[in-house]
Amino acid sequence: MLEIAGRLRPYLRRAYSVADVDPDSGEVEFLVRTIGPGTAALEDLAEGSVASLLGPLGNGFSLAGLGPGARVAVVAGGIGAAPFPLLFRAFRSKRIRGDLYLGGRNAAELDFRARFDGVGAGETILSTDDGSLGEKGFVTEAFARGAAAASPPYARVYSCGPMPMFAALARVVERAKIPAEFSTEAAMGCGFGACLGCVIPATEKPFLVSCLEGPILPPEKIAWEKVC
Amino acid sequence: MGEGLLSAALQTRLGPLVLANPIVTASGTFGYGLEFTDFVDLSKLGALCTKGLSLEPHVGNPPPRICETPAGMLNAIGLQNVGVKNFLEEKLPRLRDFGATVIANVWGDTEEDYVAVVAALEGVEDIAAIELNISCPNVEKGGMLFGNSPALTASLVSRVRATTRRALVVKLSPNAPDLVESARAARDAGADVLSLVNTFVGMAIDPVTARPRLSFGTGGLSGPAIKPLALRMVFQVARALPGVPLMGIGGISDLSDVIEFLAAGASAVQIGTANFRDPGISGRLVDELAAYCRDRDTVVSDLVGRAQRLKAPTGGAAGAEG
Repeated sequence: MLEIAGRLRPYLRRAYSVADVDPDSGEVEFLVRTIGPGTAALEDLAEGSVASLLGPLGNGFSLAGLGPGARVAVVAGGIGAAPFPLLFRAFRSKRIRGDLYLGGRNAAELDFRARFDGVGAGETILSTDDGSLGEKGFVTEAFARGAAAASPPYARVYSCGPMPMFAALARVVERAKIPAEFSTEAAMGCGFGACLGCVIPATEKPFLVSCLEGPILPPEKIAWEKVC
Repeated sequence: MGEGLLSAALQTRLGPLVLANPIVTASGTFGYGLEFTDFVDLSKLGALCTKGLSLEPHVGNPPPRICETPAGMLNAIGLQNVGVKNFLEEKLPRLRDFGATVIANVWGDTEEDYVAVVAALEGVEDIAAIELNISCPNVEKGGMLFGNSPALTASLVSRVRATTRRALVVKLSPNAPDLVESARAARDAGADVLSLVNTFVGMAIDPVTARPRLSFGTGGLSGPAIKPLALRMVFQVARALPGVPLMGIGGISDLSDVIEFLAAGASAVQIGTANFRDPGISGRLVDELAAYCRDRDTVVSDLVGRAQRLKAPTGGAAGAEG
């Protein structure tokens, strides 16, 4: 959760996933798209400005059970690509092969894609709703085709993006019986389970608290019919 | 100044409730306290108010439950909580270990529900007071419905009064048609302390879809946006009902806000939405208030009601009584 001190708008912190870290320099990187007052305020910060960071909070993607040579997929919608440079770094250290499916509404929405050059992705499959870059159509469709053809099959899928994309992807991975981890998004007031603002309708109980029990959740625990 | 003198300087009395200092965390913004132990030494706070407890666990409203607004936020959490039984078994023992002074916030759909929760808490050690939430705007039944009618307030408070020997705090709604009448009804029915104010009913709409941003439609507005309104209400009730101990709530975010609410007539303050932005703020405010009193050679009890004692213009607030 990041906060720019002293501001009344944005008033609350904003939750961001960590895009990458450099342990040598101590740098932490966030990939942010400006969409509202919180992100606009971050963009307005001059170099060298101070922001307050509360974290790390919540859980992270898991590589448990994946050994060298395992093949996995990353499915990202738009700025949902943010947490994945760091994950690809983790793949590389465990010699896991990860393919990147990166989709957006149009080419401009994927203008950060160069950030993934050199992260060590196996294949990179781009798609746009309007066909202005890569395959035309939803990233979930591109992934479904790729998963059907993948040999060896994907052992796990990691995803981040908007809820409608997750809902579509949940159906794909359920059919293909691929375990999945979704980095869910919900408006968060605090980030540590106090406000209970960021709940997500769930299957085994009424709600999951995204900041505490997630934000990484398996799709089968989410009640999709109540989400979208 | 030694530790003893320091603590004497910060001590505040609200009728039968004596707190080590006037910094209290507001219900609904501080979980069960245990969520904050990385950030605050709970034993340092005047008190913490728990999440509103109901007889049975309560699920709350579907998302979206919160949305940020200028200088604050709207929420319609819908009083999600673990229920009083789980609180007593799982939460309170740990709060004891942390040395917290606990005010149990209570709500229900009906008078019987409120009474049952208060009865379940009666006789339990280490609960300093009960705070009745008769002012939540985000549930279909109960909550604010009680607070918006002086007659219902009086009936509920007198039944709860008969159920508990503890200090009884009643948390008032700024949405009541006449806050002073509500305050008077609560006091006359046996409230020891009044806390004011809960959130203001507000709304946000997505300009693209024209849908309300919260699933409940409306929500409770909190944060610095409401501070001047809340401050006026505390001043107004303190003027109309002198001698009734008050806890001031509404957008309190820094030491200056604390001093202002004390001056308006509050004997303690509750820190709410600021806890989300800055989870360590309540503990820091205790330190800052201690330094303030030390530097000015004053005590909290002298800071309470200073604005009431000045012969300054008070606008409409002066006419609150009649």
